[in-house]
Amino acid sequence: MIAFEPWMMLVVSVLIFCIGLFGLIVRKNLLVMLMCVELMLNGANLSFVAFSKMHQLIEGHLSVLFVMTVAAAESAVGLGLVIALFRTLRTVDSDQIQLLRD
Amino acid sequence: MLITLLVFLPLFGFLVNGAIALGSKADSKHPPAVLTGAIATLAMAGSFVLALVLNAKLRALGGEPMAIEESLFSWIRLGTHSVDFGFRFDRLSAAFTLVITGVGSLIHLYSIGYMSHDSGVARYFAYLNLFCFMMLNLVLGQTLPHVFLGWEGVGLASYLLIGFWFRDGEKVRAGQKAFVMNRIGDLGFLLAMFVGFHAVGTLDAVALGQSVMAPKLAMLFGVLIFLACTGKSAQLPLFTWLPDAMAGPTPVSALIHAATMVTSGVYLLARLQPVIAGSPATIALIGGVGAATALIAAILACFQSDIKKILAYSTISQLGFMFAACGVGAFESGVFHVMTHAFFKALLFLGAGSVIHALSGNQDIFRMGGLRKSLPFTFWTFSAGWAAILGLPPFSGFFSKDEIIHDALVSRHGSLVLSGVLLFSALLTAFYMTRLYVLVFFGDSRLSAKEKAHVHESPFVMTIPLMVLAGASLAGGWFGAPVELASYEKAVRAPASAHTLVMVLSVAAALIGAFVARARYSRNTDSEPVLDPFRIDRFYGQVFGRGVYRLSDAIGRVLEETLVQGFLRGTAAIVDLSGNLIRTVQTGSAQTYLLMMVLAVAAVVSWIFFGVTGYGKF
Repeated sequence: MIAFEPWMMLVVSVLIFCIGLFGLIVRKNLLVMLMCVELMLNGANLSFVAFSKMHQLIEGHLSVLFVMTVAAAESAVGLGLVIALFRTLRTVDSDQIQLLRD
Repeated sequence: MLITLLVFLPLFGFLVNGAIALGSKADSKHPPAVLTGAIATLAMAGSFVLALVLNAKLRALGGEPMAIEESLFSWIRLGTHSVDFGFRFDRLSAAFTLVITGVGSLIHLYSIGYMSHDSGVARYFAYLNLFCFMMLNLVLGQTLPHVFLGWEGVGLASYLLIGFWFRDGEKVRAGQKAFVMNRIGDLGFLLAMFVGFHAVGTLDAVALGQSVMAPKLAMLFGVLIFLACTGKSAQLPLFTWLPDAMAGPTPVSALIHAATMVTSGVYLLARLQPVIAGSPATIALIGGVGAATALIAAILACFQSDIKKILAYSTISQLGFMFAACGVGAFESGVFHVMTHAFFKALLFLGAGSVIHALSGNQDIFRMGGLRKSLPFTFWTFSAGWAAILGLPPFSGFFSKDEIIHDALVSRHGSLVLSGVLLFSALLTAFYMTRLYVLVFFGDSRLSAKEKAHVHESPFVMTIPLMVLAGASLAGGWFGAPVELASYEKAVRAPASAHTLVMVLSVAAALIGAFVARARYSRNTDSEPVLDPFRIDRFYGQVFGRGVYRLSDAIGRVLEETLVQGFLRGTAAIVDLSGNLIRTVQTGSAQTYLLMMVLAVAAVVSWIFFGVTGYGKF
């Protein structure tokens, strides 16, 4: 049985962050992309906790709470935007939404 | 200080009259001709008095070289070389200065009467004073750049005065023609200064004239100077501007295009004469061109019917005589003829002006006739000018013209052909002048009824200059040439018998020409068509005018369409292409941007991590 070490948590956090980033780039559904953003945020949170544990500091925990609050607000706004987009464009496919180009 | 004052007095007149002309435009009430004319005339008369004083001083001076010099300031400094701005008053300058200021004052006085009905009279006198200022710079300047300043200045004043009535497009074009033709000659002047400076290292007119140059450089210098003279002094091939220059007011024609400006070429040759005379090829060219001009212009004068154009061609012909004199090395005879010609040609022009003034602008000699009785002063003074230009003794023209024909015969550079051509030109001169004289003053009146009622003798302000000039035309030749120029080989002077022979022949030629003209035109007064047997103007128009148009067209096509347009289109194409290339990156898809952002951040972070900090190097 391998003993638990804080750096292992860092590996997991990087994995979660990269999965989120990869999903954000390749998936075309806006809802899935929002979920991927949540994954990235939580990957970052995990690294905060890990560093907090490694250095015996309380600030990491504080940051985690702060990020979770912001993430909640962000998903509320993001979902609202997606709904608004869907109402006007009748789609949540990011390939169909290329308003920036024109 | 006297020379400076002499030169700058007309400039003062120019400034005052210029201010009046500018000021009077606002309230559109033109100032009286008497006031502005008096300012201008007094400025000129003051210059004339100063010239007389200086001349007396110069004669009292004695010694060699006889000159009064005034340097004002250092004008151009080039390393060790320096060109001073200053004046030199020697015998040659004195002769020209006296003619310019003397005849100039009379013509200014005459203009008061002639221009009294014109609203632009202040502007007119301002230009006339400007001209005199520039002309004095030309003949009194110490260095060639200073002479060139005057040379260009008189060209400008001439342009302004030819186009004085600028509402008439024809006259404006005549001014432009004169300006452009003169430019060709001015190029020769500039190049000659380069050659002279290169060869001798100085630009002082006297030093340059007496310098010794390598034969080839001397020839180049002489030919370039002569090119300048053909422009300003209306010689072949650049003489065609002078007949058109008659568009200006008649006193202007008398002052600029007969008495002073057109003789500045002779001044230049005489000023630089040792070096000019040192090159046989140059001098032969000058003599040949002068004689050819004398002949061709005399022939052309026989076919004109405009009184001023006849006098214009006559001026060109007489200038040809002067250049022929220079071309046989007899510069002093040339200068002598400049002086006598200034008297009688100014007189003839002013007389013609008086006739035109009396007839309210009619210039056609076939519509005049019988003016002897109604214009007595003009008739008698004009007769003096007529006798002088014919060369009848004892009038002034007799002495100078006779001298030139004699020199052309006996000089080392002269020949029988040259003097024969000049003698024949003298015969033609007598013919066309008598033709004009008979048609204008004798026979029955051919005026229209309106002109007949209006015809009047000119006021005294105009007839007094005529009388003074008539006196000068009579007596101007009695004292011989005004200057002695060393270059003329006195040794080749033939015995007195040759002189007598030439004298008899030239008077005979004048009488033959006069009698033929009298026989033909005393009864035969029907209008003759104006002929142009040589078609020189048309030739220039066809060859140079069209040639230049074609050339600029071709250059336009090559430069404009190929180079300039190509450059512009090329630039546009590059921008277009790069735009299209970069455009493909901008897909509009947020995820592509995101990917790029991630890649870029990854690149920057790894560069910082591995490159800058060196953490990556294990």
